[in-house]
Amino acid sequence: MASASPLKALLEFLRDSTLRVGLPVPLPMEEIYSWALPLRLPRMGSVILYTGALYQLMPYIESLTRYLSALEGSRVSDTLLRLARILIATPKLTRTLLAPEPARVERARRILTNISRLLSSSGVAHAYPYEDDLYSGVLLYDLGLDDAFAEVAGRVYRKLKEHGASTVITVDPHTTNILRNVYPSYVDGFDLEVVNYLEVLSRAAEESRIRLRGLVSEAVIHDPCFYARYLHIIDEPRKILERSGVKVLEPRRSREATYCCGGPVESVAPRLASKIAETRLKELAEKSKNVVVLCPICYTNLSRANKLGLRILDIAEVVEAEVPGSGSPQ
Amino acid sequence: MDPLSKALGEIRRVLDDEFFQESVKRAAGHAEEKVPDILDSHPYLKELAREVRRVKEEVISNLDYYIEEAMKSIERIGGKAYLASDASEAREIVGRIVGRGKLVVMSKSMTAEEIGLREYLESLGNEVWETDLGQLLIQLEGGKPMHSVAPAIHLSRERVASLLREKLGFEVPEGARPEDMVRMVRSFLRSKFERADVGISGANAIAAETGSIVLVENEGNIRLVTGLPPIHIALAGVEKIVPTLMDAIKVALVQAAYDGLYPPNYINVISGPSATADIEHVRVRGAHGPLQLHVVLLDNGRLEASRNQLLREQLRCIRCGRCQWECPVWQHTANLWGGPAYGGPMGVIWTAITMGVDAAAGLSMLCLGCRRCDYVCPVEIPLSRILLGLKRIYAHGLLGGQG
Ligand code: SF4
Repeated sequence: MASASPLKALLEFLRDSTLRVGLPVPLPMEEIYSWALPLRLPRMGSVILYTGALYQLMPYIESLTRYLSALEGSRVSDTLLRLARILIATPKLTRTLLAPEPARVERARRILTNISRLLSSSGVAHAYPYEDDLYSGVLLYDLGLDDAFAEVAGRVYRKLKEHGASTVITVDPHTTNILRNVYPSYVDGFDLEVVNYLEVLSRAAEESRIRLRGLVSEAVIHDPCFYARYLHIIDEPRKILERSGVKVLEPRRSREATYCCGGPVESVAPRLASKIAETRLKELAEKSKNVVVLCPICYTNLSRANKLGLRILDIAEVVEAEVPGSGSPQ
Repeated sequence: MDPLSKALGEIRRVLDDEFFQESVKRAAGHAEEKVPDILDSHPYLKELAREVRRVKEEVISNLDYYIEEAMKSIERIGGKAYLASDASEAREIVGRIVGRGKLVVMSKSMTAEEIGLREYLESLGNEVWETDLGQLLIQLEGGKPMHSVAPAIHLSRERVASLLREKLGFEVPEGARPEDMVRMVRSFLRSKFERADVGISGANAIAAETGSIVLVENEGNIRLVTGLPPIHIALAGVEKIVPTLMDAIKVALVQAAYDGLYPPNYINVISGPSATADIEHVRVRGAHGPLQLHVVLLDNGRLEASRNQLLREQLRCIRCGRCQWECPVWQHTANLWGGPAYGGPMGVIWTAITMGVDAAAGLSMLCLGCRRCDYVCPVEIPLSRILLGLKRIYAHGLLGGQG
């Protein structure tokens, strides 16, 4: 057995941090929920917007990965382990140490704010669990840490119930899949309806409950693996973009055949992850300089490898609700 | 070194190798486009794939029974059947049939690769030649096949030319074209085929009902390996057994189609040693083809896997290699990810079956879980789910059960 490897240290770090702090990277919870404060969303409600913290975490995970890339292939696990223990005990220190680009942090907040507004404009009132908007445990599940994952899943479910949830609206493919397809077999009596905001929004647009406008005229779409092959959320983003007046271009590998951004192996093999991202970027670039992504992991991994100067945008950065009398799109 | 660190080290070396990256991606890109075309133009293939899935499932559920039936049928038609419980037993069985100081020609077989057969026969003092061009290049290079069906995709024509010069003494001129080199190899191997004492092949499928072996190919070397030498040995994993000869043919067609080579140039059906009754209607074994046919069925973890909930579905695999072509990790690593013999998503699982879970679990950590493989596998093996199961085993081991 591999006794002392960086991977072991990393797995322990992710596990312990998620179990103790509720996040795979130990941060103060206000990093996760502060975006929602200006919106004054209620704390309680039967429809809960649950972000699972993924958008907010990605800038921090990105800096963590930079450290890990520097360590790839080395064996410095003892130091890592000691450092990890200190970080988990002091989330504020982690925030300072990882110091992601403020623009990235701000961007995540903007995206979530827009998603909440899009939902409200569609007539879908929703509450938000604030300090209980815990991480769903996806990474633990994907890395094989299923005992810890089971504990996390149970906790997230209880918290959502405490906030009155019967329906949960999710905003990214990984959190959607884990709640919809995996939680039911890990959480006894799991009874939440899990809907993704793209499903809500495309229905609302179709039923003309919301008018959308796009901020670019055309873009190539990058389907995330989990929407395309696990959840079959494929037509929804296309409908939303088209209703917004954005021309959608299809890359060589799209829909069910979409190509991975490389993100999932980022923690184990960062260089390989980048190479996979570069391969994907090349074929996206063949269609357009504007790339629309639908997942914060895709965004991070593709952006990190973006040497082609592509403009990579989340769908929630491209589409917004048209407020009557606010003028036409640029 | 643990298997994951070893693989990561090898992978890191090829990530910046432009030629490696480009040629693997080009080959994969062709297959990605060709296979859907083939399936669209021959709509019956998807139905055949479903039938193959069903009969494979039937055999896996009753593997002991089908092994026995297959062995009886092989003996009934004049062949000799053996069941080898592990790699070393299989090597010894083949070694005893071949002996020492013989000339042996082989057609590409992942199962032979799995048990290290060529190296073993060489160590007994035999002269052994791979006859599939790609596999011969791997033999000359001393490396590992980079894809189940296209083993030498990572070699440039310049590299091939220099291998032929250095290892075989060919006078390959600068700027030689692939067709020139193929011609040289062809005439070199012709002399080996004619004089070979033993031909060794794998099998795409074995029919329990008739004892027939079915082999699909494009180069034509398998017909020579299995037809010219006086002794033919076929080595195959026990999961290659299917109920009927019809099923075996279906496996061959599906395998070829999902690898992107359809129609296949040749399908060989071999039912016992060659025979004639043309003189006074007296049946004589051994006419133009081999006098002896030996079929070595290899267990090497397969029977145990057939009873293992996590691994059993992999035994449906027909080794078409499509999960490799489609896998984003494989497209950047080729078979450097997967284990010593096998590669790619199916490779990690085959390593688990044939070498034990510990040899493979760490490698599963490189699976993206993107499910491209699951989507294209003709026999619907849930590869990414099995790989996730292996990740669990690995993470538990790494953290001392505190996953
Ligand atoms: S796992 Fe499926 S796709 Fe991969 S080689 Fe086997 S049969 Fe082909």
